[in-house]
Amino acid sequence: MPKVTYIEFDGAEHVVDLPEGWTLMQGATLNGVDGIEGECGGSCGCATCHVYVDEAFLDKLDPPSETEEEMLDCTVSPRESNSRLGCQIKATAALDGLILRLPEAQS
Amino acid sequence: MSEFRFDPFSPENDADPFPAYKILRDEHPAFWCDEAGMWVYSRYDDIMTALNDWETYSSAKGNLVSELPGRAGATLGTTDPPRHDRLRALIQKAVTKKALTHLEEPIRAICKTHLAALKGRTRFDFVAEYSSNVTVDLLFSLFALPKEDHAEVRVNAVLMAQTDAKTRQKGPEHLAAYQWIMAYADKLVAERRKAPGDDLLSDFITAEIDGEKLLDQEIRNTIGTLLMAGIESLSGFMSVMALNLADYPEARRALAADPKLIPDAIEESLRFNTSAQRFRRCLTKDVVAHGVTMKAGDFIMLAYGAGNRDERRYPDPDRFDITRKPKGHLGFGGGVHACLGTQIARLTCAIAFEEFLAAFPEFTRVEESLPWVPSSNFRSPSKLDLAVA
Repeated sequence: MPKVTYIEFDGAEHVVDLPEGWTLMQGATLNGVDGIEGECGGSCGCATCHVYVDEAFLDKLDPPSETEEEMLDCTVSPRESNSRLGCQIKATAALDGLILRLPEAQS
Repeated sequence: MSEFRFDPFSPENDADPFPAYKILRDEHPAFWCDEAGMWVYSRYDDIMTALNDWETYSSAKGNLVSELPGRAGATLGTTDPPRHDRLRALIQKAVTKKALTHLEEPIRAICKTHLAALKGRTRFDFVAEYSSNVTVDLLFSLFALPKEDHAEVRVNAVLMAQTDAKTRQKGPEHLAAYQWIMAYADKLVAERRKAPGDDLLSDFITAEIDGEKLLDQEIRNTIGTLLMAGIESLSGFMSVMALNLADYPEARRALAADPKLIPDAIEESLRFNTSAQRFRRCLTKDVVAHGVTMKAGDFIMLAYGAGNRDERRYPDPDRFDITRKPKGHLGFGGGVHACLGTQIARLTCAIAFEEFLAAFPEFTRVEESLPWVPSSNFRSPSKLDLAVA
């Protein structure tokens, strides 16, 4: 199972073993990572699973879909070049060691 | 020992599916259900895996346990990506939390109107006299529908979601209700095409995807589903939540004393006994799970209500605990098809119960045994008499 590290805005770190095929949003909401809300349930409809992806992994991700692009414009904390929505990225072996930094606020 | 059976059509299941869910989770995690003619997933992790993998667990052959004719492939809930994503994007923006703040005052006004009508009463039916009225008024205002259609739309939207316990399928009255809603949707489409307004329906009807107009059948079926979900599911959920607050007086008193706790209580109700109990998918390839092989083309029921009580995910799952904060619950499904109306539902419920508890902080249920909506998909009381202090 790929290991993913979530770093909360206050610096708290959570290392989560994520089953392949589950999303980065689910890895957080199901493991007590408070800095991700995921209130729409993973349908790319709320922008409350905003994450900043470690630069080293950006190339390993599929680019955001048109819907994700639009929702990324709705994040509460600033959108950066490494901003993504956690519900749109599924865990794969290639993402083992991924580091995600969480924004100050989601809603 | 008799062989274990799970009958999602039986009145016993409508009333209390939870003991059977536990047996399913513990002893038959991938169960063949003869009554429904499909497999059943009941553990949280299996349901979540299915929801994440829409390519294997397809919705394009329908998502209702007892599907209605003509829906497969023609609604948001019954289409796979990428077309699903493009259809959904048309509506999604209109129903985000931010886009809905303008609804707060109208919803509150609707709630106050129906509560004023209950003033001075010592008992009433929460379903007929509050939750139904609030949700129908809300939907009519969202879609700018004529008021005189209220009663008929509600009756038919509620009926189309039901199933017959004896024949284990939709009965003639359910199909007639569905046809009525489809004809009503057709009429709306024709009217709004001629004279579009600034309502959600007009936006959807006039929208194009990739320069291609939506098919009339797609629009009609999606509107029919939105009417069913907006009226039946939301009102059903509110009724279940009222039942929880009647049965757990300490929780109710905590909410009445501090309405800021209501959103957490809504999440726990969505976990504890969501009205959306079971939906289905169709396998696009063979899947081996828990030692059984399920074939491509087989249908599988995802029992959200069972996953939400899975002790492997939620400790002490049969306890209604408003401090639990059950993130990731399946009360709205999940994945690409997660309920479109999550924010409308949360907002409406929060306001509806803020106002209700302010008016009636103390209530108990009158009947020990309740009548339940007959449905292989949904679960809510069809009548909930409350005695108020």
